[in-house]
Amino acid sequence: MTELVRLADVTKVYQGGITGALNGVSVTVEKGEFTAIMGPSGSGKSTMLNLVAGLDRPTSGSVSVSGTDLGKLGEAGLARFRRDQIGFVFQFFYLLPNLTALENVLIPAQLKGNASTERGRELLATLGIEEVADRYPARLSGGQQQRVAVARALINNPTLLLADEPTGALDTHSGEQVMELLGGLHREGQTILLVTHDAKLATRHAARVISVMDGKIVDDAHLESPERAPSEVIRVHGEEASR
Amino acid sequence: MSLKYGVLGLLKGEPLHGYEVKNRFEAMLGGTWEVNIGQIYTTLQRLERDGLVRPVGPRGGRGKLQYELSPDGQKALEQWLGEPDSGPQQLHEEIYVKLLLATRIANGNLHGLLARQKRAYLQRLRDLNRLEEQARRDGRIDLARLVRGALLHTEADLKWMDELSSERFGEEGVATE
Repeated sequence: MTELVRLADVTKVYQGGITGALNGVSVTVEKGEFTAIMGPSGSGKSTMLNLVAGLDRPTSGSVSVSGTDLGKLGEAGLARFRRDQIGFVFQFFYLLPNLTALENVLIPAQLKGNASTERGRELLATLGIEEVADRYPARLSGGQQQRVAVARALINNPTLLLADEPTGALDTHSGEQVMELLGGLHREGQTILLVTHDAKLATRHAARVISVMDGKIVDDAHLESPERAPSEVIRVHGEEASR
Repeated sequence: MSLKYGVLGLLKGEPLHGYEVKNRFEAMLGGTWEVNIGQIYTTLQRLERDGLVRPVGPRGGRGKLQYELSPDGQKALEQWLGEPDSGPQQLHEEIYVKLLLATRIANGNLHGLLARQKRAYLQRLRDLNRLEEQARRDGRIDLARLVRGALLHTEADLKWMDELSSERFGEEGVATE
């Protein structure tokens, strides 16, 4: 496997508070991995994601993606990096309300100068929502909006897909659908870094779970996926027939 | 639950031989509860003694005998199905006792234990997810529901570990008499 992301002794200090700060975090992510980052609010997990996305810079330490040291990039270089390498899905979708679903999907491609309506529609079809292409976000359900946001994140074929609580604003069913979608993308080779509170949803697809607490990585679990007999996973108990 | 009501429930549809009861019971539980044929026969005999099932046809060897639900058995089954589970909460796993002992022996330093247990729960969640997926693929919605319950329980266990991890141990001490 090839290394895609490297955080080396990363510290992030926020003025006037410790919430979300990071304290000497080192971690690498391989290409093709689906990694979940979990931890309580304010533990620094979203900060990690923002640093990897080039949305924020560390106070000290270095962040590299695809061998590029983000600290060496200027603002323009960082913007190009985000556009070309990163797809980002947020908890609250952040679709532009005065653009249709398809127009929203095409924004990153337009910034790159190769917006293809056809590719946008294709992507929406792949995500099972081609029928919403010409509708405005206000007319879409939360689950549909998030799938449009996933399409927008994918339009430039990002090296890395980052998702910060993508199911946090959705009901259980829509949340499962969005996670299923991420699982499908991962099976096709997409590297995904996911921040979530929902361990049962995360472990459905992510084979690696990083636990963050107080700005530090406290556990980095690589989960196994062997075939197990049902009785090795669940044992329904009965009283012995004694009476 | 005891095997008793499982057996009664399976006999509700049609008379069955002991080995049919065993096979159907295990199939219903999707491999999460294995019983031996001896337990089934013992259960059937007790149910017959209590008048809840009765043999169908002439009494040959015990393997050849079919049983059916009696009217009393039918009543007992319906009553049991309608009752909520209101007994004490069952905590079968060793972690509960381990936690108590570790609190005393390790003088409140539980972080290693909690971290390892947390990892075990994460792995269990992954295994349960796969089992749920398999149940759905097999069209076993009933089994998928059971696995879903186990998933939610494990999620709660995981939250418990997180809560314990963020506690400040050792400040209050443990009252040992």
